[in-house]
Parts: sequence; C-alpha cells; structure tokens
Amino acid sequence: MKAALRQPGLSGAPSLSDRHKLTEAQEGLWYAQRLDPANPLFNTGHYAELRGPLDRDAFRAAADQMLSEAEALHLKMGQGSDGPYQMLDPARRPRLEVVDFSDQDDPRAAALASIKADIGTAADPASGPLASEKLFVLATGHHLWYRRVHHLAIDGYGMALLNARVAELYNARRTGRAAGPAFPSLAAVLAEDAAYRASDQRRSDAAYWHAALADLPEVTGLAPGRALSAHGFDRAVMGLDAPVLENLQARARAWNLPWPDLLTALTAAYCRRFAGGPEIVVGVPHMGRLGSASARVPAMVMNVLPLRLAASETLPLADFVTAVAKTLVASRRHGRYRSEQMRRDLGLLGGYRRLYGPLINVLPFDVPPLLDGIAVTMETLSTGPVDDITITFRGDGRTALALELDTNPGLYAPREGVAQAARLAEFISRALTASTLEDVPMATAEEARRYTETVNSTVHPVPDTTLAALLDAGLRRTPHAPALIFGGRTWTYADLERRTRALALQIQAQGIGPDAIVAIALPRSPELVIALLAVIRAGAAYLPLDLDHPPERIARILASAQPRLILAASEDALPGSLPVLAPGAWHDEPMASELPSPAAPGDLTYVIYTSGSTGEPKGVMIEHRAIVNRLEWMRQHYGFSAEDRILQKTPATFDVSVWEFFLPFISGGALVVAPPGAHRDPKAIAALVRDNGVTTIHFVPSMLSVFLDAPDAHGLRLRRVFCSGEELPADLGARFHAHVEAELHNLYGPTEAAVDISYWPVRAEAGDRPIPIGFPVWNSRLYVLDDHDRPVPPGMVGHLHLAGVQLARGYLGRPDLTAERFVPDPFRPGERMYRTGDLARWREDGAVVFLGRSDNQVKIRGLRIELGEIEAAAMASGLVGAAAIVMREDRAGQKRLIAYVVPGPHYVEDGLRAYMQGVLPDYMLPAALVTLDALPVSANGKLDRSALPLPRFAETAGRPPATPTERALATLYAELLGLPEPPSAEGDFFNLGGDSLLAVTLMLRIEEMWGADPGLGALFERPDIAGLAQRIDANAPVSDNGLQPLLRLGSGRDTLAPLFVVHPVGGIAWCYRHLAGMLSPRRAVYGLQAPALTPGTALPDSLEALAAGYVDRLLSVSPRGPHHIAGWSVGGIIAQAMAVRLRELGEEVGVVALLDSYPSDCWRVEAEPTPTEALRALLAVAGHVPEEHPDLVTREQIVSFLKAGNSPLGALPGDALDGVIRVVLDVNRLVRGHYHRRYDGPLTHFRAALDHRESGLLPTLWRPYARSIDTVDLPFLHPQMVVPAASAMIARELDARMATGSFLA
Amino acid sequence: MTLTLETMRADIARMLHDDPRNIGLDDNLMDLGLDSMRAMNLVLAWSEAGVDLDFSALAEKPTLAGWWALAQARQDAK
Repeated sequence: MKAALRQPGLSGAPSLSDRHKLTEAQEGLWYAQRLDPANPLFNTGHYAELRGPLDRDAFRAAADQMLSEAEALHLKMGQGSDGPYQMLDPARRPRLEVVDFSDQDDPRAAALASIKADIGTAADPASGPLASEKLFVLATGHHLWYRRVHHLAIDGYGMALLNARVAELYNARRTGRAAGPAFPSLAAVLAEDAAYRASDQRRSDAAYWHAALADLPEVTGLAPGRALSAHGFDRAVMGLDAPVLENLQARARAWNLPWPDLLTALTAAYCRRFAGGPEIVVGVPHMGRLGSASARVPAMVMNVLPLRLAASETLPLADFVTAVAKTLVASRRHGRYRSEQMRRDLGLLGGYRRLYGPLINVLPFDVPPLLDGIAVTMETLSTGPVDDITITFRGDGRTALALELDTNPGLYAPREGVAQAARLAEFISRALTASTLEDVPMATAEEARRYTETVNSTVHPVPDTTLAALLDAGLRRTPHAPALIFGGRTWTYADLERRTRALALQIQAQGIGPDAIVAIALPRSPELVIALLAVIRAGAAYLPLDLDHPPERIARILASAQPRLILAASEDALPGSLPVLAPGAWHDEPMASELPSPAAPGDLTYVIYTSGSTGEPKGVMIEHRAIVNRLEWMRQHYGFSAEDRILQKTPATFDVSVWEFFLPFISGGALVVAPPGAHRDPKAIAALVRDNGVTTIHFVPSMLSVFLDAPDAHGLRLRRVFCSGEELPADLGARFHAHVEAELHNLYGPTEAAVDISYWPVRAEAGDRPIPIGFPVWNSRLYVLDDHDRPVPPGMVGHLHLAGVQLARGYLGRPDLTAERFVPDPFRPGERMYRTGDLARWREDGAVVFLGRSDNQVKIRGLRIELGEIEAAAMASGLVGAAAIVMREDRAGQKRLIAYVVPGPHYVEDGLRAYMQGVLPDYMLPAALVTLDALPVSANGKLDRSALPLPRFAETAGRPPATPTERALATLYAELLGLPEPPSAEGDFFNLGGDSLLAVTLMLRIEEMWGADPGLGALFERPDIAGLAQRIDANAPVSDNGLQPLLRLGSGRDTLAPLFVVHPVGGIAWCYRHLAGMLSPRRAVYGLQAPALTPGTALPDSLEALAAGYVDRLLSVSPRGPHHIAGWSVGGIIAQAMAVRLRELGEEVGVVALLDSYPSDCWRVEAEPTPTEALRALLAVAGHVPEEHPDLVTREQIVSFLKAGNSPLGALPGDALDGVIRVVLDVNRLVRGHYHRRYDGPLTHFRAALDHRESGLLPTLWRPYARSIDTVDLPFLHPQMVVPAASAMIARELDARMATGSFLA
Repeated sequence: MTLTLETMRADIARMLHDDPRNIGLDDNLMDLGLDSMRAMNLVLAWSEAGVDLDFSALAEKPTLAGWWALAQARQDAK
C-alpha cells in the first residue's frame, strides 16, 4: 500500500501526499461541521465489550496494523483558496492506546466516563487527528475496545470493515494462519469519485433525481421546528417480539421482497401518517459499496437517498410495499448521486430547508466482530448528527431485531422518543397482519384510553337550572351593592332588578316565553344590559344584532330567526315589519312584584349568528343548561366574587360577551360598561380599567397586542385577563407579563360549545411555545381524532371534536347542517360530539394545542369568517365569472383578506366593491381585489393557493440575471428573502428585505456554492446581484468577514468628506447600513468597529484610548477634515470623545451626531449590571427583546438560542461571536470609567422621543460637554434609531448639516 | 441440481421486480438496483440449489457474466 502511494502511476490513482479535493460525499459534512464547529456529533464511534482471555499483544499488533492500513484515518484536512482539501499526513496516524483502569473502584464506569468525555468533545478536522483507538483494561479477561472517527473519514460500513480487519489479523496471529490482503488504497476511492463527477452516469443519475424530486413538497419531520442537529441526541430502544419477526419474514417471503425493504416501507408509512401531510420524504442511507472500488476501503462513501411516500393507505398492503420496494430499487440504481447535490439542484442547500425528514436505516448485517475465544457485544455511540429523528433497525430480522430511535433533543422531549419507539413497534406489528394501512390505528391501546377517557375526566356537579334562575337569585342577593357602572353613573342591584323585572314582565305580557326569540339591536349602553337580562328573565331567548351590519344581512338573519319582538332604539334601521319596542316605551316600574320564570334548563338562552360557508349566516342555539355550566365553571374556577368588576367591551353579537354580561350578576360583582367604540381604543380601555378598578377584562389576542403597544397599558394591575377568539402567540404572552401585572388565561371554544370549552393559564415562567388551548372545562370532553374518528396519539395532528353538556342544540332552522356537524359520540353511546373543523394535537400532559383550520374558515380580530360566504357575495354580484377569497399573512401578524376574481363581461371594480359592502359586514370586506384571467388550479382541480400572486407585487423593472453566477445569486436571494421569484440583476439584497445579520447566512451559502466568500464588506458595498456576482467571479480574497476595524459601508463622490459611524454596544457597525445608503448626495461612509472583535486582540485600557485609536484609523483614510462622526448609543459617547481628540490634534471637526446617546454619568448612577444582565444585552444586539426570554440566563443558553433561532448573529463563526460577547461584556467597564471632556463645538443629538419618558434622559445632559446642543426629536424608540424609517429622517438631517456647514455654528 | 445462465438471469430479475430481458450480461447489477441484501438472498437461494458462491467474490464483480463464470467454475469443480 505504501508502494502504491509513492508510485501513483502504478494504479493510475492520484497521489495522496498532495492536496486533494474532498469527495462529494465529504463536502457536505465539511460545511455542516464548519457551520457548527463545536458539535461533537460529527464524531462517529462505538465500543465493543470483550469478555474472555484477550491476547493483548496480538490485539495491539492487529489494531496497529489496521490503523496503519486505513489511510482515511491519517488524513489532514483544511480550507484552501479553492475549497476544502485533504491530504495524507503520516503524523496523524493513530495508534492503539491501552488504558489500564483495572485498579479503579469501578473500572467499567471509569472507562465509560472516559469514553463519554472523548466522544462528546468536538474534533476539529483541520487541526487534530481524525481518529482515536483505545483498549480499556477493566480486569483480566474483560476489556472495552473503543473507537472514534470523524464522520468526514468514515461511514458505518467503513467502521465494520475496520472491526472485521482487526478480528481477521488477531485471529490470524492466534492461529498462525495467514490473514487476507490489506485494505486497498484510499486513492482508488478518490479516483472513482473524480471519475464519477465527470461521468455520463452522473448526468443520467441527475436526470433521474430531477424527475423523481419534481414538485417536492415542503419537507417536515415528526415534530415542528428546525431540523438542526443539537450537540447530542436521545435514544430509545425497543426489541421486536418473535411473533412480529415471524410475520415479517412470512410476508417478505410471500411478497418476494427483502424484509429490510418491507420494514422501511412500513416505517415510512408510520412517519407519513404521524406527520399528517399527503406525502412524506424520508431518508434512506445507502452504503453504495457493491461493485465499487470502495467495497473494501474504509472511507466516507455513504449517501442518503430521499424516498417520497404518498398517502396510499387504501391500497392492498402487498401492492403498497411492493411499490415502495420498487422505488427503492430504482433509486439505488442512481444511488451514487449525492444528496447534497440534490439539495443544491433543488435550491435547498443551507438555511433550514431540507431534502428529507426522518432517517430510516435497516442494518441486517450489523454483527459484532468475531475475535477468537472472546464474547463480543457492541454499543454504537454515534453515527453522525441527528437532524430530526433517526430510526435504526439492527439485527438479522429472524432471531433478533432491535429498534433504535435517536431523536434531536431540540425537537423532541426524551419521553416522546420512547413513546414513538413503542408506538412504531405496535404499528409495525399491527400492519404486518393488516390488509391495508388504513386499518391500522396510530395510537397504542393505552394511548387511545388515555386520550379519550383519562384526560376527559371532568365530571363536576353543577345545579340543573337556568340562567334566568341564577340571575333572579343574584339580582336580589345584595340590593344596595353596585351592579352596573356606565359613564360615571352607577346602578345598584336593586335598580337593575327593578328595571329588568319591569321589562321582563312587559315582554311576558306579549305572550313571549320559553324558546321564543327576542332580537336586541342596541348599542353598548345600560339599556343593552337591561334588555339582555330582561329577555332572559322573561324566559325567552335573545338574538343580538349589530346595526352596523348591512341591512341586507340583518334582513336575512331576521327572516331565518323569526323573532317575536325587537328591542331597538327605533324601527327605522330595521327591515321588515316586526314589532319594535324602543327603550322610551319600556316600563320603568314593574307591573308586578313577582316574576314567574317559566324557562327550563333545556330551553334556549340565546341564538348567535356566525358566518356560514354557503353564504348564509347560521344561528347557533344555546340552551340554559350549557351556558349555566360555562358560567358556573368560570365563577368557581377563577374565584369570582363580589369584589370583582368586569369590563364589558365585547360586541353582543360575539359570544365572548355572554360571560361579560352575566357573570358579574351571578357573582355579586359589578359590570363596567365601556362606551360604544371604546373597545378599539387602548387609551380608553386603560383609563376605564384604572378609573373603575376593573379586575377582569377580555381581549382577542390581536387587540391585546395593539393594547400592549400603547404606553398607557404599561404598569396596569388587575386580577385576570382572558384571551380567546384566536391563537394567543407565545411572544404576546411574554409581552403581556412584561407590561401588565395580572393572571393571563387562554380560553378556547366555538360558539357551538357555549363560548369556551377549554382553558389554559399562561404563566410567565412556564415558557410554553406554542401556548396550548389547554384542558376541558367541567363536564366537557375534547377529542383529537383521525379521518376515521380514531384517537390520535400526542404530537400528531388530528381533528378537534368537542362533547359534553355545553354543546349547542344545533343550527336554527338547519337540521341538515346540524346533522353534519353534531354527530354521535363514538366513545359515549347516546351522546353527541361536535366537529369543530379545527386541527389540534395533544401534548403529553393532556393539554390540547390548536393548529389552525382544516377548512376555509378564518379569523380576523377573533371574528369567524367563512371565506365561502365572501365568495358567494362576490358571485352574487353578477360581475365576476369566478372568485376565490384568501386570507394572506405576507407579513407576520398582518392578516388580510384578498379577493381574486375573474372579471365577467360587465365587471367594474368599484361596482363589485359597492355590492360587497352592501351585503357583508366591514370585517368581511377584502382588503384588495386582484383580477386574473383564470383561477390557478392544481393537478387535482383544486384552487392552487400557492400560485395566487401577491396582491401588490413590488416588481422593480430591471434586466434579468444573465451570467450563471447572477442567476444562481438571484435564486439564492429569492430563497433567503422568501421572494416569490428571483429578482432582477439590479435587485438589492437589503432593499428586498435582507437583514444585515441575514447577510452572514448569505455569505456562508456563497462560500458553500462557490468555495470562496467575497466578504461581507463586498456585500455592503455592492448589495445588488450584478455587483456581487462580479466580486464572486473576480474571486475576491476571503479575508473579509465584515468584522474588520474599518468597514466601508457606502461610497459616493470623492469630493465630499466621508461620514464615520461608530459601533454601538456589540462592537459591530453593520447597523448603519440603511443610513449609509440613504445619504444624498452619496458619500463615503466608514464603520468603525471594535478591534476586540478579532480574537487575541487586547481589550482597550479606556474609552479615551479606544477613541484615540479610532481617530488614528479615521485619519489614515481621510487625512483632511472636516471630519463627520456619528454614533448610536455607546457609539455616541465614543463619537464625542473622538471629536475632543480631533480638536486636540488641530483637526477640523464637522458634524458630531449622537443617536440617542447620553453621557457616561448616566451609566454610573445606574446599578452595576450583573454578568447575566450584560450577557442578556446580546439578545438586544441580535434584535430580540430580552424581556421576552426571561429563561435565557447562561452564556450557553443565550448562545444556543441565538444559534438555533433566526438570528444570524448565531451564525457568526464561533470566535467572532466570542468577540462580540467580549466586547459587550467590556462596554460597561469602559463607559463607567469614562469622564467626558468638553468638546468646544456643537453636538447634534437625535433623540428617541418615544422613549425615556420617565427616566429623565434628555439631550441637555450633554450641556457641560459641548458648546451647544442641536436637538432633533424622532418619533422612535431607542432600539429603533437605525431602522430604515429612522435612518431616512436622520439622513435628511445629516445631509443638510454636512452640506451647509451649519455644524460650524 | 444445476444452475443455468437463464435461471440465474431469471432469479436476479425476480429479485429486482424486472423482466429477465432487461438483465444484460455485462450490466452492472448494482446499477440495476441490486443491493447487498438482495445479493445475499440470491446467494442463499443458490446455496439451497446446491451451488455455494462466495458473497465477497460476487460483490467484486457484480455482473451476470461475472457471476455466471463463478457459478460455472464452482459447478465444474464438483
């Protein structure tokens, strides 16, 4: 073998003593490791436990010979100018290390600890040896044989070759027989790789995969989240029983399939079902050795082939698995084509998009090496990163088969892995005797019991009574206590009892009683409250109407509900000829002292209309028994009492208002009624709460978000805040707790289940993401079911069903719809369950997580909207040929309805708008109308929502990308920035939405694609595709990582003095990028960045010294003044010191701009930040709000959060991030130790006028340190001073001052 | 019991769910989708038919012609 190396001509293979490109198989791993250099999972390793009389000398000789033969273990790797390389380095050849632990107390534990520490330490393939081989002596006849090899050098098959070779050499020595030939040279593998790269075979393989992967769906795993390998994994192991193995073999024989393919097919089917989509892509490792030069060469050759599997559960099982096996056969024929290349072909490289989800690895030949006279058992420690879930089957499939399930702890809790393993084993066992996959349930028998019965044990005694009876008792209990507060006036319970009894008797006098409907169309007012109470006390049911809705809609509702009476201010606004009773005609005094209450628990309490998909609103009928359960649960569960004051601000047509209206009067508390319109005004709400001592308030989450934006909301204290109506985002929960002192409760329920049927307390410290909708309320049940109404296990998406006492009677006048939605409860004979149409999943603690809709229902501001109702309205206009309404959320949190219409012959846009305004309430009107020639449809004839254009497509005209580099960059921009299509050659990374920190990801991707990185500086200077492509093609030097002390951020006329911008706390000046691009005329802009960002650079002695260094640097590029300087936050403090220093040197100073900076004196009066607080400043540097992440306190937590999250600050190379941390931690010392000197010139101060309201931070604090202060107030907060809008204002002000020389004033 | 070229071709085709006519003498069987598990199953089947073939020998030259040569050599030796 050595000879082959010295005489490469003999075999025609390249010499390994020269630098050699990495193989395609290695390249992907190289970049993955570089992105996460500290990840030890790139180590692969195992140990074998050897019991028996081991000949240690023979073993050592055998191991050392194997180590000398296996060239892959002697490699040295590094990053060259044209990409990563590898070469043989004899100094790196490992030797067996014998470690004697036999004198330890517990030798085996000591050895395992040593092994654990070794495999858990990341090895840098550029600097250290790739492999380690150890023999731990535990006792005579008891050894652990351990090996670790970097994944770049070896794969699983290669590891087995190494083991077999040691065994062969050992046995030969022991028996005196000759061993077989040595491993062939690695050079043959490299030559084969090079030949393949240029071969026709590769082209035909590429074509195969191109076709096989066409229209690849978004690839997911079995849990939501980013599949980015953590630094460890959890493992669950299950043995498969003998009867299962018998069935496996019998079916494999009957269907003429290798059993591993059968197992792969069933496991993939399990994953598909669990993930829930119509199709899943799993990865199937492919050893790729048969018939190749690598058949006997230990090396990294393994590939992972994507296997697409569609839901085909109704096929006979034999047909299904045979089809999968055929696909596997076909893909193995093209199995040399690298999965990394497939990702590149599909534009999936880098970022978080992936080619496959779970990995399924069947290892039928995984047997321990046979050492003469020794009993050997193997323990695999790591086979490489676990991105999502890796499912391995080890064993011969006849006598034994172990299921090993490794999970990424970033995505799965350890017990989820255990549950998946048990469930998969049961699924396989059942599937092997099923005739179709459809017959196989997903939940284990135990899970099915737990998630239908145990979690729904909610039986609780509630009196079988009516709301009328509860109100009657409540109103009479405390006659002198305040009951109703509105606009500064208070009504006592006695007042309210009398007024409502008077009106109730008046209603009863008209012969209106149980199950008769009385419509109420009144604005929010005391009269509205009186009307509601009176109708219920009369024993009738109320129907709320909103007079702001179009008369046409109101007319349809009235026609459907047939109310006997309408309580409204006047009959003018009402269509038809129904009797109207206006407040002026209501009796003030009761006609009788007693009020008979004829209603029974099964009679109607109210009818509320919701949007209907056919265009017809539907009336939900709620009975007393249901709403009594809901109100009594709430009163007792949350401890409502006479001390409580509940704010009424929800419109009566929205069922959340039901508990607001009635709960106070059954608890003895008071109802504070907000004036009409106040519910949309955060200031007014905050004032109502403060002025009236409100203890309880409800928000739809989107309104809560708006409310929390208002400074008036901050510091509010109350007892409890309820959210419902739409999803409550976890960030919003955190924001709430940062600003408001109150309990926060998330409730869930459709109108059909009496307001709310599940609850969840949102605790600040719990950190639930997402926030669940929680547990069922009293006497209620939640089911999450699959398409066949079988319970699904936790973690799997299913259809949410509701059951119990709170279900509505049905839809008024629509027995057809009622029968469709209210169906027999399969788990409780004789009872009903309601199909919500919502998707949900169980958590393992029995809480439900809401996941959206399974149909076209959407919610905007908590209001339920059937898109079909809007479509029906558009069609009914007669102006369009086809219409599709879509809710888009193109920006987070910004939901808008868009109407896509195909114009008919008489189409007029204004006409369509006017028509829709006439029949739909405001919240259902589309925000934009887009006309199309035809609606895009998918292959199965359904509307293809993804093909609908953006409503206002910001298309910048420009030439299309022309060169290959430009085209590839355009694709990359589009992918990173989420653009619908590649931009033009003029497309600017930042104008298209690129974040300066996202730029780091772009650079990594460019390096991955072109092998060299033009540097962040190049991107800041030429963010357009054409410009950046030029730099890539020019093969610019790779030294620029954007962290150098002087960074050019912009260029312009040479005759204009440059602007120097000084970094804020993190030491990086990228944040001034917008400002640099907005100056007019354009001029050179240089960012001054902290030298300490570079590892090994000493920290500055003082802020003065730092400023002096910056002045030197400034003068080196711009020797003549005037010198313009600006700095944000700490940058401003440094800028002022630089100005002093420049004057001292006799230089002319121009504009000195401080972006919301305050003198160091202000820092000294603040308490010294703890190391934790200083570290948490990093979160702010990365653009997060630190208060939203109270759980992140250690450096490790913060760094891994940054790495895991969207913030590409986490994507900085490790030492650069260290540099940022160092600079952040040091800033406090520098600033506190700094005493300003006076600058004899003007300072321009840009004040973040929305901030510092009570802190006393004012620009005038600079007075002692400047000749004059010129103040500009900007309507922004401190952290927003560098956002584009603020930068634009600052640029305008700076332009004027730099142009006119007004800085000399 | 003897193994003929055509029975070998048919066995391989069955294992690949393919038509025997598609298995050429010099086609790389790996390129046709044969994997080690299927190769091992063939070795077992032929062994039951009385012809013992060495798996690693088959792995080095995975073509029908190569395998037929090995099978002939083995059957002649008997």
